[in-house]
Amino acid sequence: MAGIVCRTASRIISSQASCSSVVAVRHSHWFTSVLSVKTSMPLRAEPKKKKKVDPRREIMMKERLKKKLKRLEKVPPELIPIEDFITPAKCFDETRIRDAPKLSFEESERRALLLKEWSRYKYSQHQTEMDTIKEALEAQRQALDELKLESEELYKAALSPDTDLFPFQHEGPSYTPPITNHEAPEGKYNDITRVYTQ
Amino acid sequence: MAAPLSRLCRPLWRITTTGTLNKGVRNVSSSRQQNVKTAGVASPWALHGAVCLQRLPVVSQDRSPIEEEFMELMHQMELERSLLSDHELRLLEDAARMSRKQEEDYDSDEEEEDYRDKEIVTAQDLEDIWEQKLKLFQPAPRSQGVDEKDMGSSERCLADSLILLVKKDVGSQKLWLLPQIQWQTGETLRQTAERALASLPGADIKATFLGNAPCGFYKYKYPKHIQKEGSVGAKVFFFKAVLPSHKHLPLEKNLFAWVKKEELQDFLKPEYLKQVRRFIMAL
Repeated sequence: MAGIVCRTASRIISSQASCSSVVAVRHSHWFTSVLSVKTSMPLRAEPKKKKKVDPRREIMMKERLKKKLKRLEKVPPELIPIEDFITPAKCFDETRIRDAPKLSFEESERRALLLKEWSRYKYSQHQTEMDTIKEALEAQRQALDELKLESEELYKAALSPDTDLFPFQHEGPSYTPPITNHEAPEGKYNDITRVYTQ
Repeated sequence: MAAPLSRLCRPLWRITTTGTLNKGVRNVSSSRQQNVKTAGVASPWALHGAVCLQRLPVVSQDRSPIEEEFMELMHQMELERSLLSDHELRLLEDAARMSRKQEEDYDSDEEEEDYRDKEIVTAQDLEDIWEQKLKLFQPAPRSQGVDEKDMGSSERCLADSLILLVKKDVGSQKLWLLPQIQWQTGETLRQTAERALASLPGADIKATFLGNAPCGFYKYKYPKHIQKEGSVGAKVFFFKAVLPSHKHLPLEKNLFAWVKKEELQDFLKPEYLKQVRRFIMAL
């Protein structure tokens, strides 16, 4: 450390000497005068002032950063937009509006009557569904009553929940039945979903 | 004041009930006797566990006429209320460009740069290409080509849910029943039903039982010459089970039948049918 200081000091002195003649101005506190006896180390041995200033500077820097962080954190985070609620700009394009066809009187009448017929059909369907479900539940309740009359143990076993049932999976009906030993071709796709981070 | 009044009221109430509702009182007393019996003596009813195995529909049902009409109306209304899509706009542009080309005073310089002299793939061409690709895929036919009357095959009526029936000797008769087996001490009724399914002579049918509780019951009395002391009849408890999606099950024809709810009446006895119909849902 001392050696490095020496070398830098000597370089500075030589540079100073080369550029100008004896300069009375002190460039640094290390060199009292160019003409005086040069000692390798300043014999006054003043402690490094950097020790105090630097920690203070570092502390000041940290505080400034912390204040900036606090200011940034106080801002509420931007909400992630819900893609479904934003109508895409394409829908407001006027060139896309279809010409509305003019319906004849018979056509509009037919439509109205069909809608009413459909509501009646759906209502009767719903009623039959509800009745079948009620019937099945009633049958189950009576079966459990009979079982209770028979034996308490079996009744309790019947009431206990079935843990193996769920998760229950079954493939529902499709339009055409599945082809035996069918190899589906591998499909390539580009996933363009937008991922937001807060 | 209230307490002594109630004490007076109770015997009065009992007198009136015994006078009018004889049957009710008898029932109450018999159930009490039965409860006492289960504590010490075995009940006179033999217990059986049966399984109602369902093959759920594989193919969607055909639409009824009103459903067809309504579906068409909905498609039409949706089309009328929609906006033009990119593909349709492209079709319109192509049609306009073609008509412009056909005109006598056609100036090719007026066209946009992209469409001048290069060969364009019109939207119509794209549609044709897509249709060609679709024709390369052959889906399986909806009816599967199995004879509808062949009761033994589980590939019948793919649009309905089918129930498995078994022909069994009961006493002196051969009856069509849901597969059932006698209950043994030490097992729950659901295990009896599982045993009934496993005891069927055929392929190992792996079915999912829907819960521990029975879905229905049927009780019948033995004919008098079989009735002994302590066995009056039998109670059959049904459990629902569902076949896993689409597996072939080779089973013998004469002993097994896969039957729709409407066809049950051809196979089952009227009293039995009445109880069984309650919990089979053909929705």
